Amino acid sequence: MRTPLAQLRPVHVVGVGLHPYQRPSGTPYTQLGVHSVRAALTDAGLRWSDVESAYTGTAVTSMALSRLMYRHLGASGIPMVQVENASASGSSAFRQACMEVAAGLCDVAIAVGVDKPLNVTDPQRAAGLQNLVGDRVAPPTHFALLAARYMHDYGATPEQLAAVAVKNSRNGALNPNAQRREPRTIEEVLAPPQISGTLTQLQCCPIGEGAAAVIVASDDAIARLGLDRTRAVRVLSSAARSETVYDLENFDAALTRETTEQALAEAGVEATDLDVVELHDAFTVEELLYVEAMGLCKPGRAATALEDGEFEIGGRVAVSPSGGLLSMGHPIGPTGVGQVAEVTAQLRGEAGERQHAGARVGLTHMVGLGAVCVVHVLRKD
Amino acid sequence: MKIPDQSTLYEGIADRPRLRGNACSACGRVYFPPLAIGCEKCGASETHLRPESLAASGTVYSLAQVHLHRGKTPAPFTIAEIQLDAGPLIRATLAPAAAHVRIGDRVSAEWAVVRTEDNGDELVEPVFTASSTAAVTTNGAHS
Repeated sequence: MRTPLAQLRPVHVVGVGLHPYQRPSGTPYTQLGVHSVRAALTDAGLRWSDVESAYTGTAVTSMALSRLMYRHLGASGIPMVQVENASASGSSAFRQACMEVAAGLCDVAIAVGVDKPLNVTDPQRAAGLQNLVGDRVAPPTHFALLAARYMHDYGATPEQLAAVAVKNSRNGALNPNAQRREPRTIEEVLAPPQISGTLTQLQCCPIGEGAAAVIVASDDAIARLGLDRTRAVRVLSSAARSETVYDLENFDAALTRETTEQALAEAGVEATDLDVVELHDAFTVEELLYVEAMGLCKPGRAATALEDGEFEIGGRVAVSPSGGLLSMGHPIGPTGVGQVAEVTAQLRGEAGERQHAGARVGLTHMVGLGAVCVVHVLRKD
Repeated sequence: MKIPDQSTLYEGIADRPRLRGNACSACGRVYFPPLAIGCEKCGASETHLRPESLAASGTVYSLAQVHLHRGKTPAPFTIAEIQLDAGPLIRATLAPAAAHVRIGDRVSAEWAVVRTEDNGDELVEPVFTASSTAAVTTNGAHS
């Protein structure tokens, strides 16, 4: 019989840590990753020797990178594995860590996202697939096509799409771990360079590097290791799906709708219960598409709801309070783990200037090339 | 002489390009680009995937003018999502002369020269332009 995460052993986030997301530099990935792990251990009040299993979310750095990084914390002999799932690599690593603790295979597991854009590969090429456009459709054009259709369907304007980047730049400006830390006006966001369609540079997430770490633990571990239960955040559900055949419905949005529905249902939570949401806003149009697909507002209403301040910190539901992929950045492996770190900080009431008052239930969402989608729901009891 | 740049994707003999798609004999789904190995919809094996020649005509579903591009095609150029009359939603390049095309317009393919070989042979690919039967609007280049 199938058992959702919520009906297995409770899993709690007990520690989070980050290395700031930044432009690609000469810093080795090992240093980025160890920095985030040490921060998460300190946050949890744990030693590396307490961690029983490690999952590394990574997609564009190198094969077999885990042990070269973790050995700097003291070689403890624990199982470690890379989890590659495109943009959802970090989310998928977190899911694996949660499942291992929930299943009772271990009491303390860590998910670490780490990446530097050293080895970006192309699965279409590996599969020998051909199409009429060759290399002419890069990711910005994929989303520019979505943007054009969204504007056609709902009468939204380029300015309304750009407003997503304005909001998320304000949030990112308050986040010391964000890659883009400047608050931007609508004029700045709409200014050249234009990349594809109506998407300007500031409506596309930056290329970067970084690391994020999240430690999850069972009730037993919290008691045995004397962890602070008042700062633990429960992982209520973990849902992961892949694309099916949707015909004309946009697959990223359809996949988001299905996966979010499953995650909310398994968590016993309604979309209207969500206080904070971290979603895959690699390009501005995505935030509008996904808040609608998640049921945070009606189809075609996202641009207006955004204008009305509903998705601001302090609004009806804070969307991408970290700054999102647009401002915090999207170093690939770290991104999904960093979302969990942000939601955890928000639910603990420790997000400082970015704090969404009274945040109790949060959701993280990543889509990845493939396409795949991973959603988690977290709650502070 | 005109030679198809990607002969697995389109037939090179006619005046107007035709696309080499395929169809699943088990569930009826039509694919372009042609799908090998097995059917995405129903999982039928490749023995059920039969070649099917598709008319390169359809309706524009979405459009994006690419302003900045690192590949070999010089920007700007316009990419369209087109729902073929035969069913599949495809991505293709618009002809430079098709700047007036909008979402919902009827389009069909014509040959465009990708490259001319030393012996004078022309490598060609299909690009889409407003169908000759469609009304041509004159409200300028789209942004």
